[in-house]
Amino acid sequence: MSCSSPESKPDWKAYALRELDQDAYRQAEIHLTNCSDCQEELGILRLTLDTLSTLREEEIPRRIAFVSDKVFEPRWWQRVFSPTFAAGALVAVAILIHGAMRPGQAQVDAAVTKAISQVEAQHMREIQAMYEQLDIRDKQVANMYRNAVLSQ
Amino acid sequence: MALAKPGYSRIVDPGPTFSAPTASLRTEPQLIFREVEDPDLIAKARRGDVEAYNLLVSRWEKRVYNYLLRLVSNREDALDVSQDVFLKAYQSLPKLDDPARFSGWLFRIAHNEAFSLLRRKRPETELAGEPRPPELSPRLLPMELSLAVETALNRLNADQREAVLLKVYQGFKFEEMAEILECPVSTVKSRLYTALDLLKTTLAPMQKAALRGES
Repeated sequence: MSCSSPESKPDWKAYALRELDQDAYRQAEIHLTNCSDCQEELGILRLTLDTLSTLREEEIPRRIAFVSDKVFEPRWWQRVFSPTFAAGALVAVAILIHGAMRPGQAQVDAAVTKAISQVEAQHMREIQAMYEQLDIRDKQVANMYRNAVLSQ
Repeated sequence: MALAKPGYSRIVDPGPTFSAPTASLRTEPQLIFREVEDPDLIAKARRGDVEAYNLLVSRWEKRVYNYLLRLVSNREDALDVSQDVFLKAYQSLPKLDDPARFSGWLFRIAHNEAFSLLRRKRPETELAGEPRPPELSPRLLPMELSLAVETALNRLNADQREAVLLKVYQGFKFEEMAEILECPVSTVKSRLYTALDLLKTTLAPMQKAALRGES
């Protein structure tokens, strides 16, 4: 078999296997129309590939599947660095710290009693100040009234 | 309404974005099913999701098994090696740089495992000798043709056979094959082209005979 222009003979195997780029493919098409030898060569190649495609694909005799096992599980450090685990751990630590630092009931009662007495004392001081202001005003009014009577 | 299958996520198609020609005609949103992509499954498997990995295995096991079967020429071995391949792939998933190139990466593992087995079994294979070509009738049936192809493939050496398997049956590009086989593209082409030259001398006449038988 001899090609009419062997210097420009395309790579027919790459052509049949769809490995040529667009330009090379177009040039091969042009060459093919004018070269009966290459037509025959490509024909045999296609026949071979067609025959290869008749090979029957077999079903796998047993499906492959894996179960969760220690081997497949992530390492402890992978778990620690996973976002879900880290968030959960953070919440757990916060709860523990809060529990450890929470004051006892007696401390709370004493603090409440102290706060109430402070508020009561503050109220008493304000009321006392108010009474003193009223006394001063009463005395001023009484003086004004007495002066007015005396001037008549 | 269609039911969601395992491994499929449901997304809502909002319909076309262009305005409909008639104002009264409204496009109802359609429910469509998008297959979970391999990279999504790989990401889940990397986080320890075994079920996601099983789904990935179910997509690839037949292809890997058939590739291995043609390489090692023994069903039991092919199945054992397939299991090893998927186990190794699971353990090596964190090392996979680009999940989009999973297929080439998986076949590289399969190639390494298969050739490791072939090296171990070499004396036994050599004792078994060359496979005998089947006795074929002039008018070939599809089953006989398939058998003839199997025999012709077995007469190639392992490198040539593998090149044919990766290109013709698995559809990899030359560059991908070079990555799987860890050799230059020129070597890949050389193996494949030699194999095709050998195959065409035996297979093309058979196919011609089969076609003549049909007509």
